[in-house]
Amino acid sequence: MNDTEQLIKEALGKVAERTPHPGPTLNALRRKRKRHHRNVFLIATAGMAAVAVLIFAGVIASDKYTPPRGNDAAAVLMSGNGQNVALKYVPHWLPDGFVETFRAADNDGTTRVWMLSDATANPLSGDGPRVQLSSGTNHADGPDGWQDATVRGLKARVKEFAGQAVVEWKAQVTLVVRVSGLDGLRETALRVADSVRADSNAVYQAPFKVKDKHANAFHGTSPDDWTAQLSPAPVDVTVFSRAPDLSGKQTAPVTVRGKQGVLLEGREVLVQEGGLWIAAMSTEQGKTVDDLVATVNDVEIAPDLDTGWIRKK
Amino acid sequence: MTPSFDDFVAEQVTPLLRYATVLTCDPHLAQDVVQEVLLRAQQKWDRIGSVDLPHAYVKRMVTNEYLSWRRRRAAKDVALCMTTLESVTPPVGDTTHHFDEREAMLQRIAKLPRKQRAAIVLRYYENYEDSEIAQMLGCAEGTVRSHISRALATLRLDHTPEPAGVGLRLGEGLS
Repeated sequence: MNDTEQLIKEALGKVAERTPHPGPTLNALRRKRKRHHRNVFLIATAGMAAVAVLIFAGVIASDKYTPPRGNDAAAVLMSGNGQNVALKYVPHWLPDGFVETFRAADNDGTTRVWMLSDATANPLSGDGPRVQLSSGTNHADGPDGWQDATVRGLKARVKEFAGQAVVEWKAQVTLVVRVSGLDGLRETALRVADSVRADSNAVYQAPFKVKDKHANAFHGTSPDDWTAQLSPAPVDVTVFSRAPDLSGKQTAPVTVRGKQGVLLEGREVLVQEGGLWIAAMSTEQGKTVDDLVATVNDVEIAPDLDTGWIRKK
Repeated sequence: MTPSFDDFVAEQVTPLLRYATVLTCDPHLAQDVVQEVLLRAQQKWDRIGSVDLPHAYVKRMVTNEYLSWRRRRAAKDVALCMTTLESVTPPVGDTTHHFDEREAMLQRIAKLPRKQRAAIVLRYYENYEDSEIAQMLGCAEGTVRSHISRALATLRLDHTPEPAGVGLRLGEGLS
């Protein structure tokens, strides 16, 4: 390839970096489809009226009208603002007893985790048997130790190390299955990977937001016991359902969200809101209590919390 | 099994937008083209979804839409303007000394006749063989080679590399 051809490739690659976000296209598509459906409805209504008139006039009789077929595609055409993010993929096979415990979504991709139904471990801790499916991001590891593999006819690579097995392959996006805490790690990981299919139903629904940033991780041990987090430095915000144990900890009263909250260990602000708890903790120096209070004040809980997916297969 | 249209859109909208952006050199036009194509594809999904490679079929629809779109817009067509790109997405930082050369090359590619540009994109961005390009453009392989040869001749003719670090600044010299 000569210099001109190389330059062409680089120039085209540069244009590709300017690819617009799909959100506006999906929204426009949804609007046009609704308008199309509305038009179809109007046409159908007008047609029915005309047919009725003709029948009434005794000129024609018809019972062959078929109403327009419904379409549920709009359900997946969601905005990509972090409030609702399509998870897109799901494994159709999991080891016995595994249920979903964790969902996360950010600009880079999505993650789902399944653990044993009786697991008490926090999915974020990495303890206990678990199956993780990530889309949109590569496995963050070096090039060593990978072996070639195949997932549904696609070239893949697999690696087993430190009590876990990772399978990575490129479908429409990069998909990574990670399995740990089980026997037959490699075989299990490959079997899970082979079962991964598109999932148009599962949606990551952020339980809260702070200004325009939505919670990016959501996990729980039951629909009534869950925790959601937003972790953009310098302040981590957590909303959770289980009352915290403050015994033995240094606390001080603080006014937040127009009511009394707690300053915990001098670096975390905590307040109860309805049946939930909101906490903000600084992850870097220089943030004052007022900063944390202001952050908690900005928290907006989503009106329709969806926790029904927690501990479901 | 025939994939649902929803699944197809969820998976393919970004690759289609990327392809359309490279093809049109205009993110706004790319959005319009992809939107039009997906609307039409949805109406014919029973048939499109059952072909072996629905994404290839829809990609060809994007190509055809771009070509026809360009025909409709020809009267008011304007050369590529970097501000158009930047109004949609901010420019990505680039520290290589080829930056200005690439921008200049991009401008030249944007001025190619539409079929030559499509052939160039399919060859150098999609890495397609002549036969695949011919199928995509609906022409003979010889015609593909002719398109690419003429495009390369134009781009080489206009290709006068700037010394490193001396080139145009972003946006300068672009209409």
